[in-house]
Amino acid sequence: MTGDAGGAGDPAPGPSAVCPSCGWPVGSQDNFCEACRTELAPAVVSGTSPQAATTCPFCQSDQITPDGYCGSCGRKPPASRDHTEIDLGLVAGVTDRGLRHHRNEDAMALATAEATSGPVAVAVVCDGVSTTRRPDEASLAAAQAAVEVLLDAARTGHDLAESSRNAVSAAREAVIRLDDHPGDSPLLDPPSATFVSAVMTSEAVTLCWLGDSRGYWLGAGPGFAAERLTVDDSVAGEMVAAGLLSETEALALPQAHVVTGWVGPDLGGAAPHVVRFEPPGPGVLLLCSDGLWNYQPEAAKLAELAMPGALTGPLAAAGALVEFALKSGGMDNVTVVLAPFPPRTAGPVKEHAATAPFSLRADPEETQA
Amino acid sequence: MSHPDFTVDIAQNEYLPEGGDDVNAIVTVTSPDTMSAAPAPDEGSAEIIIVDCSGSMRSPQTKIAEARAATAAAIDVIHDGVAFAVIAGTHEAHPVFPHDGTLAVADATTRQYAKQAVAGLMPRGGTAIGQWLRLALSMFTAYPASLRHAILLTDGRNEHESPEQLSAAISMCEGVFSCDCRGVGTDWEVAELRRISSALLGSVDIVPDPSGLAADFAAMMQTAMGKQVADVSLRVWTPQHATVRFVKQVAPVVEDLTGRKTQSGPQAGDYPTGAWGAAESRDYHVRVQVTPAAVGQEMLAARVSLVTVTDSGPEVLGQGLVRAIWTDDEALSTRINPNVAHYTGQAELAQVIQEGLEARKQGDEETATSKLGRAVALAEQSGNEGTARLLAKVVDVVDAATGTVRLKKKVDDADEMALDTRSTKTVRTRK
Repeated sequence: MTGDAGGAGDPAPGPSAVCPSCGWPVGSQDNFCEACRTELAPAVVSGTSPQAATTCPFCQSDQITPDGYCGSCGRKPPASRDHTEIDLGLVAGVTDRGLRHHRNEDAMALATAEATSGPVAVAVVCDGVSTTRRPDEASLAAAQAAVEVLLDAARTGHDLAESSRNAVSAAREAVIRLDDHPGDSPLLDPPSATFVSAVMTSEAVTLCWLGDSRGYWLGAGPGFAAERLTVDDSVAGEMVAAGLLSETEALALPQAHVVTGWVGPDLGGAAPHVVRFEPPGPGVLLLCSDGLWNYQPEAAKLAELAMPGALTGPLAAAGALVEFALKSGGMDNVTVVLAPFPPRTAGPVKEHAATAPFSLRADPEETQA
Repeated sequence: MSHPDFTVDIAQNEYLPEGGDDVNAIVTVTSPDTMSAAPAPDEGSAEIIIVDCSGSMRSPQTKIAEARAATAAAIDVIHDGVAFAVIAGTHEAHPVFPHDGTLAVADATTRQYAKQAVAGLMPRGGTAIGQWLRLALSMFTAYPASLRHAILLTDGRNEHESPEQLSAAISMCEGVFSCDCRGVGTDWEVAELRRISSALLGSVDIVPDPSGLAADFAAMMQTAMGKQVADVSLRVWTPQHATVRFVKQVAPVVEDLTGRKTQSGPQAGDYPTGAWGAAESRDYHVRVQVTPAAVGQEMLAARVSLVTVTDSGPEVLGQGLVRAIWTDDEALSTRINPNVAHYTGQAELAQVIQEGLEARKQGDEETATSKLGRAVALAEQSGNEGTARLLAKVVDVVDAATGTVRLKKKVDDADEMALDTRSTKTVRTRK
């Protein structure tokens, strides 16, 4: 269902591109149209442009109601959010409902920007906490709010560590705003989601997280040097961090996955972790929800699965990692975002690409031509 | 005429375990604070007051006097423009006002004439409630009104016709008008009046002391005057191969509507809820059996709509969705929704009271003690203080929490009948 996330298939403004809003010529380095201030490369958020199914996949009835149920068997045909792929060239991601959950409570938001220092890739992955009210809306709201803050910082060159914390604050406020439905079950906790964001410039990656969604570095060097960049805010993560248990032992605990950090109203001002990582060489940044790393927590093994394809085809590699999680059981929603380092701006996109994602990255030479 | 939206809120645990097929939801329907932009449709309303004038109304003497005063009080509340009439019921039925068996349009003059006619009501003869209902039916149907409501007062049993004749009359009236029933004194039959009020979507209550009649009648008429949308149905759509196990009103009183279904589509049935006034709120318990789907799947187990029929066809006033989601997370699937649990208890409360009182009448003290004990425990747990008070007049409560009770040796008839008639009255969950 590639390209159903709004704007994913829109061509990036190439040298001869014009503003989609007013027709004014715009350059590939422009974030906004000089004439009408239209945002030329807006952030893309998973599942924000639902596409209704027209036939029920369960009973073949064609009576799908406007609220998305089959008018005959009552089943809910998969919504676009169940599986979304976004490819912005610099960064690509795939999110999937998995096989055992009734909806996708993960969300991702991707963006690219042109800074004076070069192209910047921005990514946010959030996983709604399933024992809370409206976790699917929480993750979406958090990702959406955060990516706007990060994208603005990427464009303006604002301090990325500080902006990452601001992004978490914006995400928290967006999630709190969700919790004004008095009819919601009082048995469930208020809306909450895990959070991991990354802003990748040509020098470094600024990571920020709360909860157990992770960031990994998959190096392209000899032996695919790989490492995990985040520490989980979870019962297991804290056990390991305290040196009490090995990761394998900790993950075997029944409460291993209980998160101890999240974006939501009831954790007050819990401080997010912020890390600046300077890649030792070319490689790929991976952000993922626990739907992936549950099946493969080892950085080196993840690198084996994703590399070297992720360097040139991040969307295909992200799809392959999601497929791996589904084949391993698909017990949870799974989201995988990949961003090759160093970020290189995609070249001009041909006309027909408007209906297809950027599955091909242009040669750097072509970009400079 | 288009109506503003009703709100339909669904309380349920939508999570089912693998293979689970039992879906329960409490549907709270609330009408808007202001019903319509147009003024209240008084010209579309009709009211008939049916007063028992059988010989027994003479003893005590105050009974007929209070019945006359109560009828007059109700007449005073009828809005201008509403069509109305008064029927005197004996082993026959007679139009008291207007004399010719038509309906009069209320204004200061007609209300005055009506009260004069009512003042002359004299008790004589027997009791044939079916006859009263039939006369009301023919008078209602001869007049074009969308909101038709009656108040029926009796002090005795339906002795001068067969139960079958009464049943036949009730079913003829069903869906034509609603009827609130009142029993004065203690010589009437609770089950008999409940059958009428149930079928005709009205209330039933005891007025043990005739002096309480006037206030009660005025209040009933006041409520009737507030009704603005007639013939509202709960339309329940269910998926293929699903079964509606029951649809019950559970607040303000328990009323099983399951058997009242009329098919309104290949997968939908309508359950009557009667007329609605502004800012009314009622709860319904809907239970549906569905075909289980795989873990991770979601199904719409029921679409509950509030529907009224207007000149231009059916109009949906509000809608709520009852969902089913299969999960292997036991923490989710084993949760019992507190509203569902509460109303399951309230429905059981009504049932055990009625069964307990019946057992007591039959002399089965053991069953009566156990049923009424369970009722005391349920009333205590749910905070239904009104019912707890009524129960305490019939049993001595040793321990309310465990439902340990002793039957009282001597129980006032009025107390027993009050417990019976009000057994279906529920309380809402404590917030």
